[in-house]
Amino acid sequence: MSRAAPRDRRRDRREPPATDASDQEPVDIPRKAARLRIPPGYLVNRLLTLLLTIWIAATLIWIIPRLSPVDPADIMLGRMAAGAGAVQDADRILDQLRESFGLNDPLIVQYVKYLRNIVLFDFGLSTATFPTKVSALIARALPWTLGLMVLSLLITFFIGNLLGALMVWSHSPKLVRIAIPAAMVFTSIPPILSGLLLMWIFAAKLQWFPLAGAYGLTVEPGWDWAFAASVLHHGFLPALSIVIVTFGFWALGMRGMMITVQGEDYVRLAEAKGLRPRTVLYGYMIRNAILPQITAFALKIGLLVAGQVLVERIFAYNGMGKLLYDAILDQDFPVIQGVSYVIILMTALAVFLVDLAYPLIDPRIRHGSDG
Amino acid sequence: MTGVTTRAARRRMRRFDNPWTNPKLFCGAGLLLAIVALGLLGRLLWDLDLVFTGSAPLKLPPIGFENLRGQPGVPAHPIGTDGSGRDMLALIAIGAPNTLFVGFLASLIGMGAGIVLGFTAGFVGGRTDDTIRVLSDVMITIPPLLILVVFQSAFGDVSLTIMALLIAGFAWQSPTRLIRAQVLSMKQSGYVMMARLSGAPTHHIMFREMLPNLVPYLFGSFIANVTTSIVTAVGLEVLGLGPQRIPTLGRTIYDAISAGALIQNLWWWWGIPTVLLAVMFIGLLLVNLGLDEISNPRLRRLGR
Amino acid sequence: MTEPGHPDGGSRIHETAGVPGTTAETVHTGSGRNRGRGGPVDSMTGRPVLTLRELSVDFPTPQGVVQAVRKLSLDVRLGRRVGFVGESGSGKTTTALAIMRMLADPGHVSGGTIDLGGVDMLKLSEEDMRLARLSRVAYIPQGAMNSLNPVMRVEQQLWDAISAHEGRRNRKELMRRSDEALDSVGLHPRTGRLHPHELSGGMKQRVCIALGMILRPELIIADEPTSALDVVTQRQVMQTLREAQALAGSGLILIGHDMGLMAQSVDELAVLRQGELVEYGDIRRILGNPGHPYTRALISSVPLVGGKSFLRPSSAREAPGSRRPAPLLTFDRVSKVYGKLTALHPLSFTLRGDVPKIISIVGQSGSGKSTLGSIVLGFTHPTAGAVRFEGRDLRRAGAAGKLGFRRDVQAVLQDPYACFNPFYRVRHALAYPYRRFGLARDEAHIRQRMEEVCRTVGLDPDLVLPRYPHQLSGGQRQRLIVARALMLSPKLLVADEPVSMVDASLRATILSNIYDLKDRFGISILYITHDLATAYHVSDYVMVLYRGRVVEAGPPGQVIGNPEHPYTRLLVDSIPWPDPDRPWGGSAGPEPAADHAHVADAPFAYRGSVEGFELVTR
Repeated sequence: MSRAAPRDRRRDRREPPATDASDQEPVDIPRKAARLRIPPGYLVNRLLTLLLTIWIAATLIWIIPRLSPVDPADIMLGRMAAGAGAVQDADRILDQLRESFGLNDPLIVQYVKYLRNIVLFDFGLSTATFPTKVSALIARALPWTLGLMVLSLLITFFIGNLLGALMVWSHSPKLVRIAIPAAMVFTSIPPILSGLLLMWIFAAKLQWFPLAGAYGLTVEPGWDWAFAASVLHHGFLPALSIVIVTFGFWALGMRGMMITVQGEDYVRLAEAKGLRPRTVLYGYMIRNAILPQITAFALKIGLLVAGQVLVERIFAYNGMGKLLYDAILDQDFPVIQGVSYVIILMTALAVFLVDLAYPLIDPRIRHGSDG
Repeated sequence: MTGVTTRAARRRMRRFDNPWTNPKLFCGAGLLLAIVALGLLGRLLWDLDLVFTGSAPLKLPPIGFENLRGQPGVPAHPIGTDGSGRDMLALIAIGAPNTLFVGFLASLIGMGAGIVLGFTAGFVGGRTDDTIRVLSDVMITIPPLLILVVFQSAFGDVSLTIMALLIAGFAWQSPTRLIRAQVLSMKQSGYVMMARLSGAPTHHIMFREMLPNLVPYLFGSFIANVTTSIVTAVGLEVLGLGPQRIPTLGRTIYDAISAGALIQNLWWWWGIPTVLLAVMFIGLLLVNLGLDEISNPRLRRLGR
Repeated sequence: MTEPGHPDGGSRIHETAGVPGTTAETVHTGSGRNRGRGGPVDSMTGRPVLTLRELSVDFPTPQGVVQAVRKLSLDVRLGRRVGFVGESGSGKTTTALAIMRMLADPGHVSGGTIDLGGVDMLKLSEEDMRLARLSRVAYIPQGAMNSLNPVMRVEQQLWDAISAHEGRRNRKELMRRSDEALDSVGLHPRTGRLHPHELSGGMKQRVCIALGMILRPELIIADEPTSALDVVTQRQVMQTLREAQALAGSGLILIGHDMGLMAQSVDELAVLRQGELVEYGDIRRILGNPGHPYTRALISSVPLVGGKSFLRPSSAREAPGSRRPAPLLTFDRVSKVYGKLTALHPLSFTLRGDVPKIISIVGQSGSGKSTLGSIVLGFTHPTAGAVRFEGRDLRRAGAAGKLGFRRDVQAVLQDPYACFNPFYRVRHALAYPYRRFGLARDEAHIRQRMEEVCRTVGLDPDLVLPRYPHQLSGGQRQRLIVARALMLSPKLLVADEPVSMVDASLRATILSNIYDLKDRFGISILYITHDLATAYHVSDYVMVLYRGRVVEAGPPGQVIGNPEHPYTRLLVDSIPWPDPDRPWGGSAGPEPAADHAHVADAPFAYRGSVEGFELVTR
């Protein structure tokens, strides 16, 4: 009670000073309900951030290998030359290859070419499975990663936030309010570790689920039940290992936000209005507490995607993670570059989409108070 | 009767008021110290030369277990050996502190950079602020793992310190954002106004008026960063990157998986480092929750 | 539960343990006899809608059980308005929450009954209680600024209230009812289509009133509905509330701390102090003949325009003055523009400072008065014009000049809660500047000065100085800030709303502390406030600011005592007087916002000058 007083007072002070005596009518009342729209300034801002992110990431990926004392081009070209079996003419072949990869051009030309190429998703040819195009390899792996990622990220976000909210809600069953905080401790573990444990228990020991791959070796990929079942069977453990440990992050954040929101005047008024506790929970508490969580989602997505890449690697799931891991083993540099770039691009796009969705759920941004 | 309950309640309340007696903080710090102790005691009491390949029989189980070939565990290698004849105890006694070291060093550097950048952005304002803000907004969405993968596959082997430095390159964004936001809000606060009225120079306002109030946030952000850094480091190691010759927990897991330890039921090989990492993360989480409760009294009420 | 046969049924207060006998006596005789006969006060015959008997609320804390409300008994009748008045912590909000059965967790009703129209509220099931909320008893919580869900349109927040009690209704009916409700509080139906952040504070509070009335409850509880609003808006909102309540014929409990507001708004008054009802009865009776010393203190703490000064009659000796080579403060066509908004139109004045003066700058929020203060302090740079302190433009001063300026110009800011760094003991705020400005000879000297100034403002140095800020009350903190100013003995002090966040009973003390700075220590003061009554008593000169322009200026007796400009008149008329017979926002007065154009167009009213201060009037 006494604690709340200064807080309330301070809040009153933050009220914009624009309230003049003209209290009867707002300056202009829109004729119609405001349409759901994204303020153009905000849109441009986000779009620029997206482009900047992509550009910085692409540049980093390009520049880092060129700073290395060991020329990765030499390594990979060397491997290719060795693979071709031409020993006596190695130097000449190397030179030819350098020429064909454009590595003898001035750096700036290479950079501009590189930027043009990545815009077209042209990452060159894989050195390990020469002459497969890197983009073809990625195109094959991407759907698996996307499917697993979208599914597990959304499930985690949903479950985590719901549980976090229930931890605070005064009407939740006692079990929820005691059991979840205890379980939360284990959610600090990264998915790679939970993946190992689940794999050992359910795949190696119990053999309920397969150890590796995204679908069975015996089924033919196609739009039939056998294949779908196989995909689900194979995808279950990787998805589960992500879900069971990352929901805690959301739950913790949600819990903090709910505690704040719980003390808000509008929640108190909602209760005083005699709304059903559930209406108050969903329409007033969660609806407001979720907003910062969505911002956090955009900030955290990079780490979550990285976690998933590792899970794919453990489960040898036919996605980007496995592609990346194989490329690292083979020192297949174009693939490493391509995979890294595409994953970063996906992340940046996801952040962009979340940012775009934000004004639709928060009217205060929608009206351009925060361009 | 009521006297007893109120006294118990009072004791409970007092326990939360003193940060050093917060149970979560205490347990968390205990777990982390246990890992440090493992490293120290291991160095004192155990022969760490056993960490070299081939210094012990292959794939021995911990004491009390049998491996698939029916060999029992031996006291010379109490928690078993790995697939290339390294003693697991020596491995974790060196590897666990190494992993923790990378996390703390990376986070410390990131934090330092964050403090400098955050204060600069908040105080200088204008273009500088815009640049720092946009850069940290952009960099926070790029998954560090992938850039580091590119880096390490280009540079090859690195030392622990270099790896920590690399990870630190991605650990400054969130402290920067946090400190910048706090500085901007504190700049408007009454006590900073009062300090300005008192003719306080900028450094006094920064370090004497603002920084002390930031300490709980800094600690929380630091610990969260340690966690993220370790996750990134372990991720790199599990992909076979990172230091090649120095034992770390992630590297051990990588070796185990590559050697098919899961199918061969060599559970101690990957299981022990996994559990140690889990202990580390749980410890960090508890420390963070404890700090949260200390700095945000409202959370305490729900702290069971 | 009307207790017809109860021997004490007539009186609305019951002897409670803590109430001094005399007070209870007064109330017994005062209201007990009138009851049932119509008496001098009509509508006494109204059926009681709320009956509290011996209501007690406990809050168990680690330090023991706090009795937030102790054996409270009273009735609220249909159509009657009852005020709950008292300082923070007196239990008035707790009582309201107990009626709503919405007490925060450890708190619970430990005794007594709550009877709402014959239903024992404490025995209702959760679901029945939920249904009773809003449909039978409506609660409008404090802090209108945040009472509405920021992500929902206003009308949706009215609709969900209806459907929660009456089940699903079709959209057309909901729309009709929400439009009607908004119309009844003077809001355009289109307001319903907006989100809360698009509304002003007064509009939000009106929406809350519309919400409270939408199901026609028997009882409405309004918890400080105007605490965040300025006087003009406060009057409009209170008028709306009264009209809406009269229309519905329900009972009203108005919670507040301002005796003036109570006098203008309620029929009966309940004075609470530390959870106890110390006095209860007809508002006219209490104002005319307060029985309890606490009530008397509350009433006298309301400063009146033209009334007796709350300041201690100062020693007649003229404040120490000295001739200055250059005027203390000069504004030369100073203006400030933020984007499209002009916060301050060009303003020129000279404050000589030979003889200390208190210059008041009054206006509503948004009038530009805080911008003016900020410019004087050098925190905001003017868009155009020059500010000269002792003849020098601060912006051209060197480091030493700036430090000197800082020493000579100090401030008392609005929010005493924020002015102390929570990390340090409060003495830091006093000792640091003293040392920084090179005023201290040694540590002992600082200590001695700190103790001295604390005593001057009426604080016990040993009790206050070693504390952390959160251990002190708002009033104590604000007095410490005044003490700090005194310790530095500046030449000019900017006091920006120094008492607006302090409990009413302490306002007079703090203002007289500030007045003493001028009177006894010769410091000129710029007093920025929205409170005309205090400005009337404290100041030597008053400038009324309206939308960044001075619309009226002159000695307070002229400007506030007998305003000429319509805006000043509006401000003065909006002050709630602790006198129920004085008209305040009744139906007679013109709708204040309606004559906006005429307020804006009225010419500047110059009401004379005072020695030592010249306002340039073009």
